[in-house]
Amino acid sequence: MMKFMDELKRSKSFFSLIGLIGLVIVASIIAPNFRTINNMITILRQASVLLILSSGLTAVLLTGGMDLSVGATAGLVGCICAQLIKSGVPIPVAFIIGILIGALIGFVNGLLVGLLPSFIATYATNWVLTGLAVMVMNGAVIYDLPKNFTKLGVGYVGPIPVLVIIAAIIVVILYILLQKTTYGRQVYSYGSNAEAARYSGMPVKKIMISTFMICSICAGIAGMIITARLNAADAAMGEAYGLQTVAAVVIGGTSMLGGEGGVGGTVIGALILTIIVNVMNLKGVPSFAQPMVVGIVIIVMVLFDINSKRKQSQKQ
Amino acid sequence: MGKTILTAVGITKVFPGMKALDKVDFDLRAGEVHILVGENGAGKSTLAKVILGVYKQDEGEVFFEGEKMEVSGTKDAIAKGIVAVYQEFTLIPYLSVAQNIFLNREFRTKLGFIDHKKMESEAEALLKSLNCEYINIKAPVKQLSVAEQQMVEIAKALSYKPRVIIFDEPTSALSDREAESLFAQIHNLKKKGIGIVYVSHRMEEFPKIGDRITVLRDGKKIATIGINDCTDHELITMMVGRDVSQVYVRTQNEHKGEALRTEDLSDYSGKVKGVSIVLNRGEIVGIAGLVGSGRTELAQLIYGINPIKTGKVYVNGREMMPKSPVNAVKHGIGLVSEDRKKYGLALGEAIAFNAISVSLKKIFPKFFMNKRKIYDIAKQNVDQLRIVTTSVHKQCKFLSGGNQQKVVLAKWLNFNPQIIIFDEPTRGIDVGAKMEIYKLMDRLAAEGKAILMISSELPEVIGMSDRIYVMHEGRMVDECKRGEFTAEQIGSRMLGLGVGGR
Repeated sequence: MMKFMDELKRSKSFFSLIGLIGLVIVASIIAPNFRTINNMITILRQASVLLILSSGLTAVLLTGGMDLSVGATAGLVGCICAQLIKSGVPIPVAFIIGILIGALIGFVNGLLVGLLPSFIATYATNWVLTGLAVMVMNGAVIYDLPKNFTKLGVGYVGPIPVLVIIAAIIVVILYILLQKTTYGRQVYSYGSNAEAARYSGMPVKKIMISTFMICSICAGIAGMIITARLNAADAAMGEAYGLQTVAAVVIGGTSMLGGEGGVGGTVIGALILTIIVNVMNLKGVPSFAQPMVVGIVIIVMVLFDINSKRKQSQKQ
Repeated sequence: MGKTILTAVGITKVFPGMKALDKVDFDLRAGEVHILVGENGAGKSTLAKVILGVYKQDEGEVFFEGEKMEVSGTKDAIAKGIVAVYQEFTLIPYLSVAQNIFLNREFRTKLGFIDHKKMESEAEALLKSLNCEYINIKAPVKQLSVAEQQMVEIAKALSYKPRVIIFDEPTSALSDREAESLFAQIHNLKKKGIGIVYVSHRMEEFPKIGDRITVLRDGKKIATIGINDCTDHELITMMVGRDVSQVYVRTQNEHKGEALRTEDLSDYSGKVKGVSIVLNRGEIVGIAGLVGSGRTELAQLIYGINPIKTGKVYVNGREMMPKSPVNAVKHGIGLVSEDRKKYGLALGEAIAFNAISVSLKKIFPKFFMNKRKIYDIAKQNVDQLRIVTTSVHKQCKFLSGGNQQKVVLAKWLNFNPQIIIFDEPTRGIDVGAKMEIYKLMDRLAAEGKAILMISSELPEVIGMSDRIYVMHEGRMVDECKRGEFTAEQIGSRMLGLGVGGR
């Protein structure tokens, strides 16, 4: 147990966890119906898409990179998947094609990031991908997808929503990949000092590109799940997620400079963002006031995180 | 020599897990250079930072001109007239010299805009007082040479009209000639009655500038002595705490066949021109040359950092195309780079993770890793190499230079390459750590590894090498065996001069 606590304190997400616990305590006090099992499941269901997106993005941020195209990637892959299913392609095949397209998008992002700053490169691909999605949809919206597909978004296994299970599997895979494998270690090394990683004989280019591929694959999966949940596909459906995903990762304690943080923290960040909205809905905060509160909470959370980390490093 | 201006009495500073300073006394007189020496981690920098108010001491007091000093932060210290010139530059590369000197306290015109004219004339006057009028005050700092930047740092320090200046390893980035001109400036400062604290490793500098020396070891003051009252040997013994009769250790080895050979190697930048060298197993081969002679570029070429224009590299007699460090490492070549902070370590990562960064795939060939095993390996490294740290989880940025270099060595020892290139392996580290590194190099050679050592320190090259290549302006100009050379010969060849008859 002591070992676990030590490890936890060393991880940069420790303070985000304190933030989450604080938020849950406050939520339980001000909204009595927050603590119900039903509401917990609701929160997890609402957080699922964000969890998938932000876990993937964590890999990119750990290398010190940025991917602003996750929203558009989700939108495009969701649209292509819907079109394929509508035109009679079997669901599993459509799903696999969606993942492959995600991988391709990530590969292209990674190649571009070798040439220009990741902020600019992925901001630009975000536009290109959004445009492609509009072309795929011919400017229209698709409705009424087969039940077997929408189950991914709205179905349950016992009391647990299918999309929560999918999100959990992806989170666990990424956690293991980044924390327990040599690949994950290379990602952290690269993020801490890319030149030192290169001088240590690590395949730096492959590492960097692969993180973008992981990110875009997750975005693709998230896009298909959004489609299933909405029972519809629309070129703009990923838009809202882009910056929210970045926020979840950063609130979770992953440094934008790379090398610090991880999927554990990102889960906390995604939950924090989701819980804030959930509590406001429970308390009947009018929807026009909600964005303002979200903004303020993000500032408070990240300030707390930064200050705590500073104090901790002064102790060393 | 003037009266005492600064006195520190019984200074104790404790960091978690270590006592950085233990009841240290120190005093500084006006117009003197008081040298502070000691191994890495001995407490030199900590003492300097206590005087500057960066750290608050746990016990003891500092008196400035007889008055008890209560400073918190460099701003207070500057107000009192105590300034520091650091080893790492604090200048902003894109701002001009004048802008840097008066950063954050720019002169204003009546309307409140920045008065560039006044700033420039003041900056010019300052540089002139340092005999550096050749420095263009309008040029952005990044265009200046390292030595010029150092001078700008000093000008900036002087602009505060200080009574005390603390120099922290000021010559570590300078060439010998640049260092000489720095010493001349320090003499001028002395004449003005400024007290100077000079933190350094370089013993050969001490008699040139010092008046008194204070030796620190493990946070304790060992002695304060006049510069002429002790020999180098006594000084080293005090610093290291044991008798050090021989700095360079070489056990004679048999050479067991060729490990690395280059043929007519050239790079695209023109810094390496047709270099051919041979490196045998069990041999330490030195490359002597001035900074900029192409030594580092040669190492980078062999290691696959930069692409080869022409020429070939053979490892164990077989041709190898050094296209990337990945490939070099695969062929059993390791590089201890000249800049450990930039290329050697991920400073924000734990010692343990740095120590296994090269050998990751070797230790865990099956993709999954076990952190316990990493920590165990790192613990062994810490014990073996005597890395001073509280734990293997400590981030490398909190280690002293010598201990950082040991982590870099641990990185390669864990991988166990057959050919190791050491580029300036002892730059900026203390005598004790240096000797340990020499011992390690000797041991590696005895194990049959082939070692290529690049160094600016001639005594080091001569002391350690079985064979020496001399490089000048990208070409190999000379090669000689142990015992066949003198320092003078090699020195003049480095400068591109002929040696009688050759």
